[in-house]
Amino acid sequence: MQPIQLFDLASRQASWLSVRQQVVSTNIANANTPKYMAKDVTPFNAVLDSTPVRMARTNPGHMTDSSQLSDEVDVVKAKLDQEIGVQESGNSVGIVEEMSKTGEIKRQYELNAALVESFHRMMLMTLKK
Amino acid sequence: MDPLAASMKISGSGLETQSTRLRIVSENIANARSTGDTPGADPYRRKTITFGSELDKATGGTLATVKKFGVDRSKYTEEYDPGNPAADEKGIVKMPNVNMLVEMADMREANRSYEANLQTIKQTRELIAATLDLLKASQ
Repeated sequence: MQPIQLFDLASRQASWLSVRQQVVSTNIANANTPKYMAKDVTPFNAVLDSTPVRMARTNPGHMTDSSQLSDEVDVVKAKLDQEIGVQESGNSVGIVEEMSKTGEIKRQYELNAALVESFHRMMLMTLKK
Repeated sequence: MDPLAASMKISGSGLETQSTRLRIVSENIANARSTGDTPGADPYRRKTITFGSELDKATGGTLATVKKFGVDRSKYTEEYDPGNPAADEKGIVKMPNVNMLVEMADMREANRSYEANLQTIKQTRELIAATLDLLKASQ
């Protein structure tokens, strides 16, 4: 049994969620930008399953690929399954979808934080008399 | 850079572009009746704004920026008003090509987008607070 892995899992999910939050806020900020296509991140289970090979950033001057916001999360073009489709200006951001995504992120992040907290409490319980 | 801090910055860029858009709308509305001051002179011409997106090197995120200010090249409306200093010899005054309905719709849209960005900032702040609460609880 390796219960300590829960912390690793939780921190990976938290970092995935914060990258997703960044992508969603990029979409919302660019909701009126012509030719901007909405983006999303790959699902969390895909992040867990794959360990893709990346180019290392050994110098702060190295440009990061915009599809590589963090070490393990990929940013991809969102599927065009939204009701709004592609607007006249070539923009495909649906504000409603993005707002519901931020709500989802917040809920998952809070669940994550609460789980870490309770797990931490459980560990402390074994330490204290 | 931390993605949550980056998303604060990105939403901030959204707020900035939308408020610039609102500024252009209010310039247009304020000048909706601004004629020239010599006979036959051109009146105020409606201004437009175009947004673009730009890769921010510090955060690796994509910021929303104002790409270009432009002018609307559509025709001026004409009114008969011989007493106006800008009237030509036939008494016709050129009026700005500002359509109130279009400006109002634009204003509403800018408002909504501003609110959406504001909401994102609030959400991001709550995510940061959730993380900080872990520290508070674990003493």
